[in-house]
Amino acid sequence: MAATINMSDSERSSPNDQSVSSRSSNRSLRVAEKERRKNEAEDPFVLALKYFSDVEAGTPVYGNDDFERNLVLVEKVAYSRGLPPEAISIMLEFAMSLRMGSAPCVRVLKCLIPATVVPQEAVVRAVVWLGVGKIPISTQVLFIKWVLTVFDMIDAKDQLRAIYGFIFSYVTEENLCPYICHLLYLLTRKESGKQPFLLHLLSLYKVFCPELVTLSIPSRMRSGFRNHISPWKSALIAVQKRNGSQIASSMGLAFTTMDKTSSRKRVQKSAPTDQSSGRKMVPLVQLHSFAELLENMHRIELPAQMGSLLGSSLALQYLDCVQDESALLRLNFWLGYTLHEEFLFCGDGGATQNSEEALQFLNKLLSAHHFLQEGFSSSEAFLYKFLSVWDGSLLRPQILGLLSNIPVVPSSQIGRLLFEPLMQLFFTSSLFFKCGLMECLNSMLLKWLTWHSVYALEDDLDISLNTSCLRLEHKQTVNLANMTLSGFKDSVMELVRFVGRLASVGLQIEGCHSLFLSFVLDFYETVCDTFLKYGLPLVVMPPSGVFYPALLATDPISVDRLAYIMHRYKVNLTSAKAQEKQTKQAFHISRQTFHEFNHYVVVMVSCLWNSKMFQPGLDVQLGEELLLKSNVPQYWTSFDLIHHPAFMSYAVDFHQKCWPGKKDMDLSSIKHSKPWSWYLEYLFNQGYDGLKQFAQSNISRQLTAGDGQGDTQQR
Amino acid sequence: MERPQNSVVRTPPNSTAVQRRSKSKSYRQSYRSCLGAASRLGLTPGLTARRLNSSRRALKSHIITEKVNPDHLALLVKREWRLSYITPLHQFRHTQLKRYSRQLSAFIAAEKQQGVAMEVEGSQSGFRVSFSVVQGLAATDDDAETVLIQPQIFSRPVFAKQDEPQKSVWSGWLTCINGNPEYLQSLPKGFTSLPLFGGSGAEVLTSLVKSWFQQTFDCCFGPLEINHTSLQWLAALWTNCHTESNLQHLKMIWTLPVVPPLQITYTVNPQDAWELWMSVRKDRLEKTEDEEEAGSIDIEEVMRFVQGLKSHFYRHFRLDLSAGNLNQVSTALGSAKFSGKIKISNSRYMITTLTLLTECALLKMPV
Repeated sequence: MAATINMSDSERSSPNDQSVSSRSSNRSLRVAEKERRKNEAEDPFVLALKYFSDVEAGTPVYGNDDFERNLVLVEKVAYSRGLPPEAISIMLEFAMSLRMGSAPCVRVLKCLIPATVVPQEAVVRAVVWLGVGKIPISTQVLFIKWVLTVFDMIDAKDQLRAIYGFIFSYVTEENLCPYICHLLYLLTRKESGKQPFLLHLLSLYKVFCPELVTLSIPSRMRSGFRNHISPWKSALIAVQKRNGSQIASSMGLAFTTMDKTSSRKRVQKSAPTDQSSGRKMVPLVQLHSFAELLENMHRIELPAQMGSLLGSSLALQYLDCVQDESALLRLNFWLGYTLHEEFLFCGDGGATQNSEEALQFLNKLLSAHHFLQEGFSSSEAFLYKFLSVWDGSLLRPQILGLLSNIPVVPSSQIGRLLFEPLMQLFFTSSLFFKCGLMECLNSMLLKWLTWHSVYALEDDLDISLNTSCLRLEHKQTVNLANMTLSGFKDSVMELVRFVGRLASVGLQIEGCHSLFLSFVLDFYETVCDTFLKYGLPLVVMPPSGVFYPALLATDPISVDRLAYIMHRYKVNLTSAKAQEKQTKQAFHISRQTFHEFNHYVVVMVSCLWNSKMFQPGLDVQLGEELLLKSNVPQYWTSFDLIHHPAFMSYAVDFHQKCWPGKKDMDLSSIKHSKPWSWYLEYLFNQGYDGLKQFAQSNISRQLTAGDGQGDTQQR
Repeated sequence: MERPQNSVVRTPPNSTAVQRRSKSKSYRQSYRSCLGAASRLGLTPGLTARRLNSSRRALKSHIITEKVNPDHLALLVKREWRLSYITPLHQFRHTQLKRYSRQLSAFIAAEKQQGVAMEVEGSQSGFRVSFSVVQGLAATDDDAETVLIQPQIFSRPVFAKQDEPQKSVWSGWLTCINGNPEYLQSLPKGFTSLPLFGGSGAEVLTSLVKSWFQQTFDCCFGPLEINHTSLQWLAALWTNCHTESNLQHLKMIWTLPVVPPLQITYTVNPQDAWELWMSVRKDRLEKTEDEEEAGSIDIEEVMRFVQGLKSHFYRHFRLDLSAGNLNQVSTALGSAKFSGKIKISNSRYMITTLTLLTECALLKMPV
């Protein structure tokens, strides 16, 4: 128990160590230093190290609880994050000096997992101890094996090379010989470059003392050395993986893990085939700025594994403009594979196991999407499959983000691919999921519409270009040509209606929750402007399940936004109509749409302005008897701008300002012609621009109450 | 779901195709919709339209011994292979196999000897990899020729005698038999689809070979399990061959999800299995004169056959196998496990089995 607490303590302190150096630039160095010292003094790990550096020679091991506790602590840190350089020095010194005998030696050596680098001095000192102490031979072998394993992580090799001769003397020790040779081999190779002198040296040595060289050295040197990594392998790889790539990159990497996850951090390697062309190619990874990219545009070499491009905006930029289909397909294959294996096939326990990694991956993918302003087809294909098994909460923001990037789905398939799985999720999930989905669908619609407005515009300009490109497009054209303007409109309409249905039922389920209503109104703010903002000849009205909850909402913002939306509908409809009259080939908006719009306007005007709620002809009708029974006086006024629950407080405020001395509050007195126009002015000045615009475009000048002709009519 | 009314908008008579892109066409297309663009890959993966064929030719005893090098065949049969699927290989050339052999030997040697400088010449190290094409296995023109990989290790690097046979430590192959032609044709130039990979030998070597392929051809490997349906198919297809080549037994292993998990080994006398199969097939065989028609088998027949086996079991043991999963099927012709291990014991029926497995592998393609 104590160990686990210590563990968490030391874990907390280590990120501190790292972040201190970065923060110190902002802060006073002195303060940071002080804090660091304080942290260190309290850190049990530091105390443990202190123990090992200070422990007196001859201290017994057996029955020594201090020793056991401290070593366990060091081991825990070693196996979880690896040991920092100083710790390696201390522990190695402790083990090799045999201060507590040879018993703990093996155990200490095994836990010497470097977090970053191994200080050269430590290794040199330990080698010296080899000659002094009475270290058992098997432990000596283990030590040399350890040196070989971490060789690439030793921060410098010059001093080691300086004691080359000293190391060499151990060759005479029969059991150490192969390992010492390996070490010498590594040390020598650096100095002598192409000279095969060690080779000759060893062959010569074999000639002199064949009984000591158990290695066989053929006429030409073979790689007779083996890996000695096994005692440390799993721990070392785990630590390096957890510590991330910063070590791997700084150390030029010693171990390549070949498991599935590492394929995500792809190694860029030049494809050999590109070099045959004779031109000097520049690997994409070597470019660091857009200017460099432009300069080398004609001789870019793609990496051997396209997945490595995902995180580089420069590379994405390049892909975006070179139209290299096969490069993109390679990226898609890798991406699709990774998504499928990680989230669908879940070969090794799946996303739940390493959700942190999955999260980072999806975020990277999302930022690539945002950068390119469109999604990859492989992530789209993945989503269609994933939606049917998704629980709606796993990585929700990321999945919804990816979903909002999917391109236009043909209306014939949109139901099966999108609506069915989404509907199931929607009705069985929390309010927050509903809001999230609403936002996602709004963003999807926005992207579709933007896409349409951009490409529809380009079409007009590039008709000649289209024909010349036909050759390029080969088979794809057939499929793409299927997406006609009417096909696109059908898809958009399906989407809008689907959202309408979701919103209606969602509002009912959630009791017209104003947060959800706000997301719904966001969506309709996009929908009402499709014609003018995005040039799409399509107008779809909200269903009454959305209209009435907004109209009768208890917060004034929703009512105001509804008014704004209705105003934009009107502007769009009138402009569409004007265009239809002007140009013969314009589109045709059905009478039904105009009828719906007019009906809603009539309802709004008679409810908010004309105090004619519950009149026959409107959607909301209650029996006369029932209304009388409710004992609400003048029930027909209860939803006008004065008595509407959302605006009542404004009416009261207005009343007090208008007639400060008046004791009896008679809100109906606002309804008189003059105060009414003042009241409206007052409301508009509160920032209710939607109401203002709605009033300006729909209410005729004479703002007399009770005027049934207050609203304008279309057709 | 109500049908939307399309009357609201009317398409103008000269409805212009909505051009998705004009300037950077081919690029954007390839990752724009997977319905529009990727359906160019034939199979619209997003629509999950790719399913196992619901009908397939009965196992014909292909006389492939005449077409295929017997050494290669001998290697392919009687060995248990662990299967994987692979996404299409980029810039793979059947003409470059020699070079690949050298590269892969060097790669394996280098990985085995991390930290030690390696001679690039493959013959110098203990490993020698040979790539070879298995001619005559490909069933259609679209299929890429099967590739066999055999890393060999000198049994004793130094003192090997001249005549001592080199020991093959690992072998593997990549193949595509009767791959969906639409999918294969839709791949752009430069891609080779060999979706089915089998390896046999040390796991370490398998992963080394895989990572070399990943780095060299930018492809991805994933485990390929042989699912319930495929196992049922194999059971039926193998039973169908009983008259030509004795099954000896039809052994199935089922697992039932109870606590503790129950594993049932269900062995059927081959003659009984054959008679049950014939009773299922009777209708079709009586109805059609057409040889072509008679030779094909439908998924319904397979299901009826397996249902027959299940109800027989139920009658005796009061255990309904439908609640469980078929995990393994084995006969004298071969054996297959859910975990993705397959053994084909008779080369005569190799093609159809590999066709089924190729289909399974293509189903796993992400794009």
